[in-house]
Amino acid sequence: MSDYMEETGDPFTGKKKEELKKFLEYMGLTYDEQITHSIVLRKEKEIIATASCQKNIIKCVAVSEAYQGQNLLAHLMTSLIEYFYGMGISHFFGFTKPQNKELFCSMGMYPVTQTEKILLLENDKNGLEKFLKRLKKETQEQQKCKVENRHENGIGAVVMNCNPFTRGHEYLIREAAKKNKWLHIFILSEEQSFLTTRERYQLVKEGIQEIPNVILHQTSEYMISPAVFPTYFIKEKAKAYEMNCQLDIQLFGERIAPELNITDRYVGSEPACDVTHTYNQCLREQLPCYQIRFHEIPRKTYGDQIISASEVRKRYAENQLKSVCGMLPESTWRYLERKKNENGK
Amino acid sequence: MEIEKAAVAGTLESSDCMVTVEDGDGNIDLVLESTVIHQYGNQIRHVVLDTLESLGVQNVKIKVVDKGALDCTIRARVEAAVYRSAGQSEQLPWGGAIR
Repeated sequence: MSDYMEETGDPFTGKKKEELKKFLEYMGLTYDEQITHSIVLRKEKEIIATASCQKNIIKCVAVSEAYQGQNLLAHLMTSLIEYFYGMGISHFFGFTKPQNKELFCSMGMYPVTQTEKILLLENDKNGLEKFLKRLKKETQEQQKCKVENRHENGIGAVVMNCNPFTRGHEYLIREAAKKNKWLHIFILSEEQSFLTTRERYQLVKEGIQEIPNVILHQTSEYMISPAVFPTYFIKEKAKAYEMNCQLDIQLFGERIAPELNITDRYVGSEPACDVTHTYNQCLREQLPCYQIRFHEIPRKTYGDQIISASEVRKRYAENQLKSVCGMLPESTWRYLERKKNENGK
Repeated sequence: MEIEKAAVAGTLESSDCMVTVEDGDGNIDLVLESTVIHQYGNQIRHVVLDTLESLGVQNVKIKVVDKGALDCTIRARVEAAVYRSAGQSEQLPWGGAIR
């Protein structure tokens, strides 16, 4: 062992966090508040190198210039990987600047996709290919028991969170399904508050049962996830969202859409949430570069209210589920009511 | 031996190798990255597969990121990763399978 000391935090707080922030800033990076675990290497008391992760995503890796070329990255990566396996994580990702590609590849990472400013890597050599294979298999299996829309030629796609599945989602799906031969529905797989991924998926499945030409998938890290939406080394926060969805749109346009012959992507208009609104804006601008048409469908309303899943979650928490029952398909409504009663006991 | 959980052994330092194992799809799936793959790729593969065989492991995804490790090091790292995946850290039967 050399003359430096390792220190870890889950994550760092107080003075140590400030120190790390300062070091990253000096290195031209911004500390990401989503970080869950950090490692720093110190010589005497100075930080000379660091690496962090947000769950299974490596980020904010930096080695002080004076100490580059001593393979400190090997030490950092070894520590992080041991930490991952200790946490039961065997599939992980990493972000870096494109010029660090060789360095990270020599640590057993493989490039997934890159933009001018960000390179996304993963430790599984065929991670993305496996995901694409899975999508294809799911498509073939579901097509066997579904019926195509013979009047249309396009293959559509919607990517949704559905937390929970509302009449707004249902409307968007029905509209898109009418205009396409097949419609792929991708439900976000990232675990969040309120309903679990499994619950969300199940409710969509029940809600769309009688629509004949839809194919249901769960996403993965390769679609709208913390891994493809980084808030990393981005200095102008105003441009942040624009930058952040670049990897996601590129992966969709270059890899996912061609695999399933997707020609059209549908989104619901987004009046409330800034992030989603900006994302839709970026999709509108960029999807045509991949020969994919973009469609924004106006939000469905209920009375004078816009149907929104976040409104449903809010009402649910306030014990006011009844006031939004018109926003919910029967299956979601019944499920939430049952859930509320069970939790109430 | 069966791989019960994903595990790692070794480091990415020079002259060492990092071995990760996880449950397989019914066969041995070996991914090898090495700084000396052109000189010693086949030899390293042989050592890894031979070690797995003596451990009685037939169903595993194994990845070896080699930084110029000697055969004995590779052997030890593969064994350690497999033992860890079985949750055993004491009384290790180095060179053989846990029964």
